Amino acid sequence: MYGAPPPKQLAALGLLVLAGFVLPHALPDYFLYIGNLLMMYAVLALGLDILLGWTGQFAFAHIAFYGFGIYATALLNMRLGIPFVLGMPIAAAVAALIGLLIALPATRLRTVYLALATYAFAECAQWVFRTWDSVTRGPDGLRMSAPQIFGYMVGNDRDAMPVIAIILAVMLGATLYLVRSRLGRAFCAVRDSEHVAAASGIDVKRTKVLAFTISAFYAGVAGGVYTLFQSFVHPDGLGVWTLVLVLTMIVVGGSGTIGGVLLGVLLLGVLPEALRAAPRGLLVWQEFAYGLILILAIMFMPRGLWGLVIYRLRRKARRGPPPQAVPVPALEREP
Amino acid sequence: MSLVLQGVASGVVTGCVYALVALSLVIVYKATDVVNFAGGELVMIGAYLGLLLLLWFQLPYIAMFALVPVAVFAVGALFDRITLRKVGGRALAKHVDLVSFVVATIGLSYLLKGAVRVVPFTEEVRRLPPLFSGPPVFIGDVVLQRQDLAIIAVTTMIMLALWLFFERTLLGKALRATSQNARAAALVGVPVSAMRMAVWGLASAIAGIAGVLLAPKLLMTPDMGAVVMLAFAAAIIGGFSSLPGCVVGGIALGVIQNLVGIFISPQAIAVTPFFVIMLVLLFRPEGLFGESLALKKV
Repeated sequence: MYGAPPPKQLAALGLLVLAGFVLPHALPDYFLYIGNLLMMYAVLALGLDILLGWTGQFAFAHIAFYGFGIYATALLNMRLGIPFVLGMPIAAAVAALIGLLIALPATRLRTVYLALATYAFAECAQWVFRTWDSVTRGPDGLRMSAPQIFGYMVGNDRDAMPVIAIILAVMLGATLYLVRSRLGRAFCAVRDSEHVAAASGIDVKRTKVLAFTISAFYAGVAGGVYTLFQSFVHPDGLGVWTLVLVLTMIVVGGSGTIGGVLLGVLLLGVLPEALRAAPRGLLVWQEFAYGLILILAIMFMPRGLWGLVIYRLRRKARRGPPPQAVPVPALEREP
Repeated sequence: MSLVLQGVASGVVTGCVYALVALSLVIVYKATDVVNFAGGELVMIGAYLGLLLLLWFQLPYIAMFALVPVAVFAVGALFDRITLRKVGGRALAKHVDLVSFVVATIGLSYLLKGAVRVVPFTEEVRRLPPLFSGPPVFIGDVVLQRQDLAIIAVTTMIMLALWLFFERTLLGKALRATSQNARAAALVGVPVSAMRMAVWGLASAIAGIAGVLLAPKLLMTPDMGAVVMLAFAAAIIGGFSSLPGCVVGGIALGVIQNLVGIFISPQAIAVTPFFVIMLVLLFRPEGLFGESLALKKV
């Protein structure tokens, strides 16, 4: 799987952008909000999956980079007046830089130790967001001013949707190219066996560090997207719960597959809204439901829903259409 | 000075609880290669079960203390039997195994937390009555509650019992064999999957007891499972593989936390365990007691 992505996939990106421009005129605000939320989670989850699903590094620091992205974009805009078009790339680059710095020591660790070290880093970052009052407003949360894009004020979900759709399309396109590139195949090689990867001339350490950095960049972009359609950020939202949500999306959808991740984002992003809309307020069951879904998914769909779908399709294709009775030519019939 | 002494003493007490939870995590990790992110929730349901038995069923304290570990044992053993055996029984790539196990335990943690949260009983914030009540005890300038002494005593007893169990009983030796080399253990006739279940049950029961001990000192909420990160830090100090290391790590962490509160700032207490985890992993990834990381199981 390398070379340019198939034209169908590129056309789907075009459709996504088109939908981003058309839907705001067709749907009520609430649906637009959910659409924006899902697109943001998609960027976040695609980034985490580069590290988890493609490179096989089980790291929890993603949520911290997302937080850096949010606060950096918002503060650049509010304190220094740097517009979103410049601010978001700067914020994402800062997140990526921190990711790089974390990766240098973190890639010496593996398995449990890596998971715990990055988890600890994420908790430390959340603590900083909560305690650094003069910058982040601490536990009061930060009220963000509406970002401007080329003088065009993005104040609500309706305005934000086309912008977010474009950003998601760019990130999705980048992912499509990335996983087909030499680097993307190096990610998979490191995931499947570090020894074999090293023997094939892949610099394992460098590949892991790059995966961390790129993944942090995605998280930073997702943070920037957050500032487009939300007006308030609170450190409580940047904790383990959000990370577990994104992890659940990847695991339920199918890690290491772009389609699966998007599917997971769609299903689990809509779930809390469905629980909220259900009669008698099922929202208290949310935690229980996520726990149950995670356990059942990991028990019965080790490769996620996407893996299940693909497996079924392949098996069907291999079997071919069911054999049909071959009509015997008339001449060969017994008289 | 007396403030510092007091801090050290109460640090040792909380450290004992961290050590218990850390023991539960490390026993599971050594025997089954699973990092149990639900360890804190097992502590939490231990505490809530204790509350339920005491206040709802009006059982005496001793009966509660005997029943809670049994119930939490069942939760852990069933989780291993139903979920982990299925997840671990597949021949997938190694990293997929680790991720799947961790995701399964995260699932369990949310399941338990969610289950406790929907029970109307938990809406009021309560406190579990202490094991022993009565006037505090003075040792020199240091004041300790009777519950604190009970915590130290129970922790010491559990550790002695564990040591005797692993060193002196056939079952304990079989468990150790399973954790050292499951394949070889199976070859000499150890029923490995039953052992894994037993380990999960045992570790969960320890966590449950830790919950009963800890709950009188804290306000009980469904989120009290967050204590697991302190246990992880304690286990990491001990190298994540050594049982005595857990005990030393737990007590050290309890003391460090209190000293940070006294000398740096009370705000920094919350972030101490994470800082400790990062520092230890950065400079001495094998922990202070652990074997070299390069040593691999066959």
